[in-house]
Amino acid sequence: MNLGIRAILYSARKWKKTLLVFCLLLAITTLVLSGLAIADAQEEQAEELRGTTGASFTVERDISTGGWNGNYSTQEFMSEDMIQQIAAVDGIAGYDATLITLPRIFNDKGEELAHENYSFYNYGSYNSQYHELFLSGRFELVEGTHITDDMTNSIIISRELAEWNGLKVGDTLTGVYYPQNNTPEVDMKIVGIFDVVADKNDQVNMYDDASYYAYSSYVFCSMDAAEGLIKGWGEDGEGISEAYYYVTDAAQLENVIREVQSISSINWNNYKITANDEVYQNISSALSDTGTLITTLIIVITAVSMVLIILILSMSIRSRKRETGILLAVGIAKPAVILQYVLETLLIAVVAFPLACLSSKQVAGTLGTLFGKAAENVIVTPQHFILVAIVGGILLVAAVLVSSISTLRLKPKQILAQME
Amino acid sequence: MNLCKRACLYSIRKKGKTLTLLAFLLVMATLMLTCLSIQSATETANANIKKALLGYFTINAKTLENGIPEDTVSQILDVDGLSGRYTLRSYTYATYFDADGDLLEINTEGAAQVPEGYENAGKIVANSNSQNDSYFTDGGFEMVEGSPITTETGNQVLIHEKFAQRNGLSVGDTMLLGNVEDKDKTIPVTVAGIFTNTEEQDSIGMAPSYDLYDNIVFTDLSTASFLLYGTEGTTNVQYGDFYVNDPDELERIMTDVQELDGVDWESCTLTRYDNDYQNAKASLEGLQNIVFIAIAVVSVICFLVLALFLTLRLRGRIHETGVYLAMGISKGSVLLQYLLEVILVAAIALVISFGTSTAISHQIGSSLLSQVTSETYETVDLTGESETAEEPTEDLGLAEIEVAVSAEDYALVWAFGMVLCVASTALAAYPIMKMKPKSILSQMS
Repeated sequence: MNLGIRAILYSARKWKKTLLVFCLLLAITTLVLSGLAIADAQEEQAEELRGTTGASFTVERDISTGGWNGNYSTQEFMSEDMIQQIAAVDGIAGYDATLITLPRIFNDKGEELAHENYSFYNYGSYNSQYHELFLSGRFELVEGTHITDDMTNSIIISRELAEWNGLKVGDTLTGVYYPQNNTPEVDMKIVGIFDVVADKNDQVNMYDDASYYAYSSYVFCSMDAAEGLIKGWGEDGEGISEAYYYVTDAAQLENVIREVQSISSINWNNYKITANDEVYQNISSALSDTGTLITTLIIVITAVSMVLIILILSMSIRSRKRETGILLAVGIAKPAVILQYVLETLLIAVVAFPLACLSSKQVAGTLGTLFGKAAENVIVTPQHFILVAIVGGILLVAAVLVSSISTLRLKPKQILAQME
Repeated sequence: MNLCKRACLYSIRKKGKTLTLLAFLLVMATLMLTCLSIQSATETANANIKKALLGYFTINAKTLENGIPEDTVSQILDVDGLSGRYTLRSYTYATYFDADGDLLEINTEGAAQVPEGYENAGKIVANSNSQNDSYFTDGGFEMVEGSPITTETGNQVLIHEKFAQRNGLSVGDTMLLGNVEDKDKTIPVTVAGIFTNTEEQDSIGMAPSYDLYDNIVFTDLSTASFLLYGTEGTTNVQYGDFYVNDPDELERIMTDVQELDGVDWESCTLTRYDNDYQNAKASLEGLQNIVFIAIAVVSVICFLVLALFLTLRLRGRIHETGVYLAMGISKGSVLLQYLLEVILVAAIALVISFGTSTAISHQIGSSLLSQVTSETYETVDLTGESETAEEPTEDLGLAEIEVAVSAEDYALVWAFGMVLCVASTALAAYPIMKMKPKSILSQMS
């Protein structure tokens, strides 16, 4: 009888035993596959968490290397090209830059808007959602949309301002900065309204000029509108002196900055870069601890699974001592006997491994929903499967070989005599 | 032969099988215990992340006649859930005199106006730690001489380099701060340090004279309290920032604080600042879910594997069962014998597993995890053109992560392990026990 047929016949005849070993293999493979998927999911989740820490770097003109004309620095301003070029670097989630103007703003009937002290404090912005005031939660957009870099002539205003002047999203405002210097009037459409969350009466932020304006008088307009407001202002040059870039993964901040610095078309002698990842620094040790713990967990699971598989197989082979003796006694070669055992195990594994692939996703998903926790990230990839199939296969063969050595060293007569 | 004896004899005779079972149970128990200890360690790690995201609330008591009194501050700090980290702040104005009571000169160049009565006055900033004030953290102020103010008392001041030059003051000198309205109310202070600004003031031409960087003086809270409220020996403050352990509890803590007596909370503004946490919240929960799912998967599959293994083992003993039954031993006592064997081995395995899992946990704890207390951050070293962000190691008071097998976990594993061993053995034995001895023995191959 051919050993292949023998292996199949044995498995079919002893179907209960086969089924048990199959179930064990399935369970353990599922465990390892879920473990690998969970390790990946953890990595992804940690990356997402690092992304939420708002790690950023600021590119600003370097006053120390530029000239000084007595009143202000003559260092070159940042050009739009340069800002976009940096924003295109991989790993940057978003960016913003500000161009501050202090315009007077009129409604469509030509009446000046009612506001608190002084004039308006207007931030020209590319992507207002990345503006410090919104990121820090001091302002919160409640209606409409943020300013984005593809918008033109748009503005967002505070809720108070909207209420005092009966304004709503879609209305048009006209801003003018220095009429005496012949700066043009710029029409801007309201695209969003924000709420002031922070307590302006708190004197903690009283160190810069913006602090002299009421929060309700803060407005954000698209960059082209801000540039329009200062057009013709003259050679003293008001321009963009700082731009802020937010990275997707705080752990990559340093690499992204390196890449930015390698952009050769920018004269880095005139600009400097400052990294800001305080929040990430605060949580990084605790976060990496979580990562280490989960990785350790997966390693422990994998190692234990290997031990279990070896234990189960050796137990199953050892209980077949008598059978081995008989097979050898009827003149079947030792390698053929071992091969039969290996084949039986592999037959089971061939069915168990792909099934485990399906069940592992199911297990994580079911357990997740059972306890009301999402498990979308836990995905078994083909790489996981190939890894488990190869390592698992080798492990199975090795386990069978090792457990049959003790039996196969003996003569058939000895084996049979040893039996009870 | 009594069944206990039989169970023991079987276990000893079949050394190999018993050892395999022991190894199996030991591995399983160790796995479960290690998993549980890792899980509780991740909980600590997550609590640390929450704490490190620094959720806090600010009390603005500027409009109160007496601010926040000292004992209210200590009552607030006793509220459950506060991390103990806090900053108290006060802001006022003072007229500057030298030690002899002569007026000191302030800078008026670049001032939008010099308000009446403030010709020799400037802004007074008092903070629990002057280094944490926004002028230093965001405004670009830096100490050039002396030391920052870190105590609530001591009658110390920090003055601007230019102010020091203009008035010939140096560290260790004494000057007087006077109430702007009531010039007779003065307090002597010692110059503890001199600071300068690294960035130009951008509000020049707009700021009144007292807000100019040169004219700002930092002092301790009790001096500010004297100037603001005329208190002596006790310190009242205008603002307090109080950090919490778990930003999820901010709402509850703020409500608790507003129930404290002694302050007219209606006139105060309480503002919550937990934006970093709100941003990270979803991802953090995702991370916690993943840990939870991992543990759940491990537990469920462990139990499954254990049940299967015990079944497999018992099925190898059909022949033996038949012989016992044929010998007239009752089914009950055969089953009991099997159970006894398993329980005996399981008990040994569970006892040993405490040692092994403790050793493993300890290994994980000591070698893999960053030891929070001795953590030093590597400063981001960026090449030439960029500034190195100098991030002094901030002690956030995070809990040290301990990977250890807790008594509850151990008890849990004991209980579940035993129940499972008994249940799966009984279940596996059930079909065999149902049969007559004859049919069992004739079924044998």
